[in-house]
Amino acid sequence: MSEIEKIIPIEVLRYRPEQDTEPVLQTFQVPFTDDMSVLQGLQYIKDYLDGSLSFRWSCRMAICGSCGMMVNGIPSLSCKTFLRDYYPVGLRIEALAHFPIERDLVIVMDDFIEKLESIKPYIIPKKPRTLIEGEYLQTPTERDAYEQFSSCINCMLCYAACPQYGLNSKFIGPGIMALLHRYNIDSRDGGKAQRMEMVNAEDGVFDCTAVGYCSKVCPKHVDPGNAVNLNKMESAKDYFLRFVMPKGTGK
Amino acid sequence: MEVFEADIAIIGAGGAGLRAAIAAAETNPELKIALISKVYPMRSHTVAAEGGSAGVVQTHDSLDHHFNDTVGGGDWICEQDVVEYFVAQCTEEMVQLEHWGCPWSRKPDGHINVRAFGGMKIERTWFAADKTGFHMLHTLFQTSIKYPSIQRFDEFFCVDLVVEDGRVQGVVVIETATGQFTLIKAKSVIIATGGAGRVFRENTNGGIVTGDGMAMAYRHGVPLRDMEFVQYHPTCMPGTGLLFTEACRGEGGLLLNKDGYRYLQDYGLGPAEDKPRNKAMELGPRDRLSQAFWYEQQKGRTIEEPHGSVVHLDLRHLGEAYLRERLPQIYELAEEFLGVDPAVTPIPVRPAVHYTMGGILVDGKCASPLSGLYAAGECSSVGIHGANRLGSNSLAELCVFGKVAGIEAAKYAKSVAPGNTASLLKQAADSQKQAEQLVTRLDGKKGTERIATLRKEMAQTMEDGCGIYRLGDSMQATCDKINELKQRFKNVNVEDKSSVWNTDWLLAIELGYQLDVAQAMAYSAINRKESRGAHQRLDGFEARDDVNFLKHSQAHYAGEGAPRIDYGAVKITKSQPGTRAYGAAGEKAEQEREQAAHV
Amino acid sequence: MRAVAPNRRRPYVRSMVGWWRKNPYFVEYMIHEGSAFFVAAYALILMVGLLRLTQGEAAWNGWLTALRSPLSIAGHLILLVAMLYHAWTWFTIMPITLPPIFVAGKRLSATAITAGGLAATLLTSVLLLLLVWRLGT
Repeated sequence: MSEIEKIIPIEVLRYRPEQDTEPVLQTFQVPFTDDMSVLQGLQYIKDYLDGSLSFRWSCRMAICGSCGMMVNGIPSLSCKTFLRDYYPVGLRIEALAHFPIERDLVIVMDDFIEKLESIKPYIIPKKPRTLIEGEYLQTPTERDAYEQFSSCINCMLCYAACPQYGLNSKFIGPGIMALLHRYNIDSRDGGKAQRMEMVNAEDGVFDCTAVGYCSKVCPKHVDPGNAVNLNKMESAKDYFLRFVMPKGTGK
Repeated sequence: MEVFEADIAIIGAGGAGLRAAIAAAETNPELKIALISKVYPMRSHTVAAEGGSAGVVQTHDSLDHHFNDTVGGGDWICEQDVVEYFVAQCTEEMVQLEHWGCPWSRKPDGHINVRAFGGMKIERTWFAADKTGFHMLHTLFQTSIKYPSIQRFDEFFCVDLVVEDGRVQGVVVIETATGQFTLIKAKSVIIATGGAGRVFRENTNGGIVTGDGMAMAYRHGVPLRDMEFVQYHPTCMPGTGLLFTEACRGEGGLLLNKDGYRYLQDYGLGPAEDKPRNKAMELGPRDRLSQAFWYEQQKGRTIEEPHGSVVHLDLRHLGEAYLRERLPQIYELAEEFLGVDPAVTPIPVRPAVHYTMGGILVDGKCASPLSGLYAAGECSSVGIHGANRLGSNSLAELCVFGKVAGIEAAKYAKSVAPGNTASLLKQAADSQKQAEQLVTRLDGKKGTERIATLRKEMAQTMEDGCGIYRLGDSMQATCDKINELKQRFKNVNVEDKSSVWNTDWLLAIELGYQLDVAQAMAYSAINRKESRGAHQRLDGFEARDDVNFLKHSQAHYAGEGAPRIDYGAVKITKSQPGTRAYGAAGEKAEQEREQAAHV
Repeated sequence: MRAVAPNRRRPYVRSMVGWWRKNPYFVEYMIHEGSAFFVAAYALILMVGLLRLTQGEAAWNGWLTALRSPLSIAGHLILLVAMLYHAWTWFTIMPITLPPIFVAGKRLSATAITAGGLAATLLTSVLLLLLVWRLGT
């Protein structure tokens, strides 16, 4: 390992509720190698420069969804954003935008979890089946239809990318809409009618103004903006069908 | 201190914890279930499992085959009655997950698809592309929301069990967001906290995999069984240890040394053929493949890179389209973290610590020797993995034994009366004091030991002494080093004195857990004077010794001192210990076994 | 035993003031939204033309003359640029609003959808221009 050690300045937005009245920036000089992620930079700070820096992380491989933060103002997973790309100027790390800061880079995610719990994110079987009967048949095409939307890791980068959510946190938002859509279009599911209530609600899909940045920052190609916008159509269909269909036949 | 009255407390909300919670809720909807996790459930490390989960489905496959693969793969140190139960339940559990919405990959006719995996005679690994653990975890988490009796304690960190009258009666937790303590009273407790791979340096595990539950049970006198058996996964990213799933090889990937030679054929895994053959070459078991790497390295036939020696995982012949369909995550990991396009260039890989075969001693019903305490998943030693786990058996284990633990804990909770809150609170207050003293310190002085330094030294000594191959001297050095670190830990410095999200403090508590688990591993290892599965010695104990060591090791906590190691019997039902061989030799051995059985 | 510790949580909510200036993507979004006014402005101009047509030949000719003024031509150039920009960003965002489209069993990529939209716009514009040209001569 003959690599010369390079030093990069990392500016971190600190907020310690027990001592700071508002967030403050603090700069750390971090030695790094070219294969080091932003997360590894933060770990270095915590291990050797300031043990009081708090942030969430776990898997290091972009699947657990813990380490979302703003890197130079862009919602990013810090585990797959690399320090080399910011050398020698340095970078600024802040907690995910649009969420309240609990402390340092940790945000309060209660709102997201409550939304997730509210949309019935589980199969409501079209036709119940016993275990003895084996699996539901589902062709690869039927699976592909929802697979993309089932790939959401709940990292919430899309919420940090959505100004509408920032302005009105009642908006259901992109990630949760993707999850809702994932179940609605699963060939095994029959719960769409129940979930459309959430789609049609005042702070359902129509709070979206198609900024599109949510899909841009998604690290897992979920395209949550697509889920939101497809459900605008679904919602409109749902609205007009109510006039046409007699009561009780809309399922 | 606040008190929460539950019937069942489950520590850990990964695959096993969630499955247990659902099973308990379905067994008795009247029971109040507290599901406690130091992270939000979907962050649990189950999320990182890639390749798949075992369950016999093909007509030419059988439960016996799965049983034999598992017992042989574990080098006969498995509880065979438990393995029999396990293999018989796997498929139903996989179907159950399917009904709950798990996006299993499918065949064109709509049935679920299975792929080949290492050490498995017939393809029986259910998969959801190469994100199986992710999909299983999210399916279980989202399904758990259906059950109103499951009350989650997300981001609550568990510091201790409360034991009174010879049975466990609750747990003490810290709310990460506030630093406040709560006593969660429970009539039964399930530990489902996962493994302890982070005690090693290079590992595939997430930062949260610190053996918390193992250590908690251990400190209350529950033995940790078979802790010397630590699995090295053969194909990991140099430096970070991130995992490239065994499914890479299940789908046809090859392992090449620096000369482009499929070196596994030199280690009893051949012959090398163009087409993948189950239980041979790249589809051999993980322990053998990691050991083969070690020998290649000794012979100087590996490639030297900044993060150590590597071999090549070659997927080029599978083509981009197929790789994107079957191994999309692997493709992106290689591209983003290594700058390698696996359809064009082989991926550099080396072994890294992946899994702890051993854990909290439990019987086939997931019950530990401590009344009311159950364990499931990687933190437990229910006895199915033996000395070496087969890939895709652990995800199946989460479901099968998560369910068992949930049902059994629910039954037990109905059978006992709630404990006396006042006296439990007294114990809880002691636990609180102990945890807080890490920050405040008894002597009031500032600690002098950095958490990161102790952790680093621990991880290094574990790698040095308890790696792929082990020597008595180096294991002794590791034992000594861990003892030294435990002493130095008393002087640990928690810089952060605050209450809200004080991760410095939680890291210190985790380090305490890790040191205890590491000590159990090192002492279990040095005492096993034979070579079996993932425990391979080069100091005169190179062979398996069934006369003296066809036994489970059991490490008993001894406070300040070294753990006491004793041994428990291995349950053998229908498979007598035989030659463990793979490739052509394995087929021959199998034929001989069958002939012998027919005589 | 000490009493329940005070809760020291004090989540900090950041202000959204000036949010659209904080990210180039949002700046572009605002310009895109703003460019819609130019589309509306041009529609208004056409509507005025229609109104003038109903008011007789003189009014119509007056409108046409007004259109030929240098100021009007400059204004139209600005309108054209704004509308081209609007069209461009509109088609860029189009893929996220459409259900998946499959061509020969393969899913159409976002770039293909955007390119298709732009190509269709170009084609209809050229056809329209030709038609007007033919009618005018």
